[in-house]
Amino acid sequence: MLPLGPGSDSLAVGTSRMVGAILEYTRWPAPRPIVRLCVVGQARHAGRLSDIHLSNGAALQLSTLDGQQDGPPEQCDALYLGSLAVTPMQRMVAGARGQPVLTIAEDDPDCRSGAMVCLLYRPKILSFQLSIDAVSRSTVRIDPRVLRLSKGGY
Amino acid sequence: MTASSQPAMPTLRQVLARVHMRLILCAVLMAGVTLMVTGVLVIRGYADRNLALIARTVAYTVEPALVFDDMDAARRGMAAVAASESVHRVDVRDGRGRLLVEWRRPSAGVMTVIERGIAELVAPSPARADVRRGSILVAQVRVYGGADGLGRFILSGVATALACLVLTLLATWTLARRLQRDVTEPLAHIAEVAHAVRADRQFDRRVPTSDIHEVDQLGRDFNALMDELRDWHRGVVSHNRMLERQATRDTLTGLGNRAMFEQALPATIAQADRDRTPFAVFYIDVNRFKQVNDTHGHDAGDALLIVIAARLRAVLRPDDQAFRLGGDEFALVLAPGIAPAELDAIKAQIAESMEQPIMVPSGESIDASLSIGSARYPDDSADARDLLRHADAAMYAAKAGRAAIQHR
Repeated sequence: MLPLGPGSDSLAVGTSRMVGAILEYTRWPAPRPIVRLCVVGQARHAGRLSDIHLSNGAALQLSTLDGQQDGPPEQCDALYLGSLAVTPMQRMVAGARGQPVLTIAEDDPDCRSGAMVCLLYRPKILSFQLSIDAVSRSTVRIDPRVLRLSKGGY
Repeated sequence: MTASSQPAMPTLRQVLARVHMRLILCAVLMAGVTLMVTGVLVIRGYADRNLALIARTVAYTVEPALVFDDMDAARRGMAAVAASESVHRVDVRDGRGRLLVEWRRPSAGVMTVIERGIAELVAPSPARADVRRGSILVAQVRVYGGADGLGRFILSGVATALACLVLTLLATWTLARRLQRDVTEPLAHIAEVAHAVRADRQFDRRVPTSDIHEVDQLGRDFNALMDELRDWHRGVVSHNRMLERQATRDTLTGLGNRAMFEQALPATIAQADRDRTPFAVFYIDVNRFKQVNDTHGHDAGDALLIVIAARLRAVLRPDDQAFRLGGDEFALVLAPGIAPAELDAIKAQIAESMEQPIMVPSGESIDASLSIGSARYPDDSADARDLLRHADAAMYAAKAGRAAIQHR
């Protein structure tokens, strides 16, 4: 539960912090000196993602996809899923399954898309839900301590 | 015992009890202090490490929550770690020292507060642990307490030491009692016997045996000394008695001598005065004794005196006394209660007992006769000296009368 500050872009700032924190506790099979984050579809709160600084010194490389591909391209270590039609969303998530790709859904409060992390926007508060099922199918590892912080994780 | 003459002087039991008390106190204190100090040092080491471990665990647990800025989760994580430990406060501050989140144990009882206070004195908290992401200091965790067990140890240690002191006092008391029974009482007995011997001449008193070798040896030697003392005392008494006999008896005839007569006469007068009864004194002289000595020798004279003494004694009643005053002079004290008429009867008996001739060592028989003068108390005189003079005069009168008869 991340409290959101005042200001017009407080949602974007909070989203940036949340995504950064999740990336902090994510381990890829091989260490990534550059973490490539791909924003897919219509993202409403992705404006400040470039602010993210990772404490292990890895740099963040942002790129944007329109979501019409068959799956996540090779150059993506993490997907930030904005609003997408059902079919491309399913294609993206299914394509990431079994791959070293972290998936974060911005617009899926019920977490039905199959993404590993679903952001939950509530007034003044930003939290997230972790899909154990999706995490276990992926080859990226998320620090189990993060599970305690997710909705329904304790 | 004469210990009361110096009240400041301690008894053996007090000395022993004091020595035991000091010894045991010293031992208990040394053991207690050593155990206490080592225990405190060891437990303090463990407590320090335990606290540091708790701090690191808290730091590890709350790290993601701090990164996610989720203070509720951080508080839950702190509580989960700290609640089961003896920690009473945990706080997390950011790199600039601002308090981010804090956890406190719900208020505890008085004993816990006391234990905590003692523990704070010997094991200063808090333990610190940093929360870092890479090279960035995210926060610092401080854990307070963790040494309540130490306080409990010190409190229980002090209580145990006090209990040991009480036990020590009891043990000292019991030990002193045993010592008194085993050592002091036999010694006191010896002292008591010595006192009885000195004060009351009870030479038959003996000291009982003891279970302790030295005391028993002392008792035996003391008893042996008592035996020797008793024998010596007996010897002295019999020797004294012999000397007394020699001083008051005539060695030749066994009768009382002049010294004894001079004691016996006033005693008899005192008795007669007390009972208001008269008594009589006889003065007796052997007629022509010098002549017997001259013609038959001194042995014959001595034999004559011995036989006369025996015959006088035979005539006397049980309470009467006979004395040889020296030479051929005898005196009789006839016990109080004698009637004037009896005097002549006794004189007649004496004269009759002398009718038989006396055999002397040379084999010859000698006819001996006595001159008797009597004086009655208080009829003739109430004064001892005057009474004797009266008897003496009567005897010379009798002798003169006898000579006149013989010359006639």
